[in-house]
Amino acid sequence: MGIQIQNISKQFGNYTALDQIDLTVPSGELVALLGPSGSGKTTLLRIIAGLETPDTGTIHFDGEETTQRKVRERQVGFVFQHYALFRHMTVFDNIAFGMTVKPRAERPGKAQISARVHELLGLIQLDNLVDRYPAQLSGGQRQRVALARALATEPKVLLLDEPFGALDAKVRQELRRWLRKLHDEIHVTSVFVTHDQEEALEVADRVVVMNQAKVEQVGTPEEVYDRPANPFVYGFLGNVNLFHCRGNESGGQHGESTFPVDSDGVNIGYVRPGDIRILRRAESAADIAAEVIFIQGAGALPRVELRRVDNGETVHAELPREQYRQLALKIGEQVYIQPTNIRVFVPDYQI
Amino acid sequence: MTTQSITPNTLGDAALTEPKAVRWLLSGLALTFLILFLVVPLVAVFVQALEKGVDTYWAAIIEPDALAAIRLTLIAAGVSVPLNLVFGIAAAWAITKFKFRGKAFLITLIDLPFSVSPVISGFIYVLLFGLQGWLGPWLKAHDIQLIFAVPGIVLATIFVTFPFVARELIPLMQAQGTEEEEAALVLGASGWQIFFRVTLPNVIWGVLYGVILCNARAMGEFGAVSVVSGHIRGLTNTLPLHVEILYNEYNFAAAFAVATLLALLAILTLVAKALLEKKVRHAVKSATKPIGVE
Repeated sequence: MGIQIQNISKQFGNYTALDQIDLTVPSGELVALLGPSGSGKTTLLRIIAGLETPDTGTIHFDGEETTQRKVRERQVGFVFQHYALFRHMTVFDNIAFGMTVKPRAERPGKAQISARVHELLGLIQLDNLVDRYPAQLSGGQRQRVALARALATEPKVLLLDEPFGALDAKVRQELRRWLRKLHDEIHVTSVFVTHDQEEALEVADRVVVMNQAKVEQVGTPEEVYDRPANPFVYGFLGNVNLFHCRGNESGGQHGESTFPVDSDGVNIGYVRPGDIRILRRAESAADIAAEVIFIQGAGALPRVELRRVDNGETVHAELPREQYRQLALKIGEQVYIQPTNIRVFVPDYQI
Repeated sequence: MTTQSITPNTLGDAALTEPKAVRWLLSGLALTFLILFLVVPLVAVFVQALEKGVDTYWAAIIEPDALAAIRLTLIAAGVSVPLNLVFGIAAAWAITKFKFRGKAFLITLIDLPFSVSPVISGFIYVLLFGLQGWLGPWLKAHDIQLIFAVPGIVLATIFVTFPFVARELIPLMQAQGTEEEEAALVLGASGWQIFFRVTLPNVIWGVLYGVILCNARAMGEFGAVSVVSGHIRGLTNTLPLHVEILYNEYNFAAAFAVATLLALLAILTLVAKALLEKKVRHAVKSATKPIGVE
């Protein structure tokens, strides 16, 4: 089921949590709401669920207005950040809860409920823990039980609030892949909130980047990563180096790339650490002399920190292991850096 | 599946340990106080009560006025505890699970009976419902007697035991937050289903704990009840008032005999309280329990 969000605003006292948000979640997609804390992403998720009421705007599920509809009638599944499992109930009773609170006429029989719970336990691979209490489960297991509980009533929309936030790195990666696989199997329209760009890029079909109560950009992971709409999105999706460039009327110049500049002839070029080339000898006049000040050789992509000789600014570079080994850099050495793939955001006043 | 146990931090223990002499001194001091002010009086009550033999003791307890006092005490507690149970749960629920104006005021109001001297609270009822009071003439015209009668005693008892259940539940429910209720709501539960299936089971030990304390106070209350009771033997005397009367008449053996009943109640309350305290602490802890070991 698709979700159409129109002109949603929400204030908490003087604080604007959401400012005229428009967003469409296509049916069957897995969408990430990505943004720093305080960007309004969790509020938006809670408004979709009906746990908060928007000040203005409407929410439609498949064209049908649900803004005024009560939470329990919306048929959404919600996975809370800290799981919110019922602590005095076993795993079985937690998962069965949604079915057992239905009005008597709609309530499935005991055998049916049991069959559904075991089906879901199979899905989350926790068949053997059916009689455990939440306190006896690990974080990853609780997360999966919370997901099964949300799926038990066959919701039309699945909403997840920072689903992997409270887990350690290793478990988080596993669960991330598992969620992606699960979504490919059941295809329920899903929205999840995260502040971790890696998580959003890896799991989602579509990423909604939010900042300060507004949507900055909506696109596939490739789109937002490769063609960020503005400096915020660029900066939020990865590490950045800034190059202040000066130019003439025809535009700024850096090495072989030209780009537009503002009226003062200044603009900022954004370069990812992976797009910084490190050279032993200068290849052109545009290459910048820099001194190696820090090396972190462990990990898939060794990181090197350099200080520009001309203005003392720090530049972060990441380079493939192979190249790292060949260069054999040492702290204090002087080298040359060459920014490639410079990204420039054209200020608004330009045509 | 094994559970990993956490080895105690012996280094930290050693660092926090005081010299032996200081430890002995402090423990000794605490123990002396405990014996002097709690154990000795308690023993004294039983010794005095049984001084003139078991027969005298028994006679003092099954004497009609004593039985009437026991009955009245049971009635006062029997009415006020259930009422304050319902009120306490409702108040704690409203305060911790909803946002509304005047919340801070309600919390202060709940504490009022703790901060007011019981004698004053009894006196308020006399001023309100007594013959010379605001509602006195109206009550008299309709032939309703509250003061110097059982209803007044029950009212005063309700007032002084008002905060116990709510005070016990508010911190517990605050620690547990509203996430589980929200989860139940999204899963389609109605308000009553959420209350009976999620909220109440999570605080049931806290409720029992509050009830125990509430009951002990309801049965032991002296000041407020003394003001509204009128001390009519066999009619408006509760156990604590009966003890006082006997004592004032120099009937020490009987006074102490009846007092042992209250002492026994206190001991039972303490035992129940100790048992429940563990459960409640566990409930609060599990509200913020760290992730377990697989």
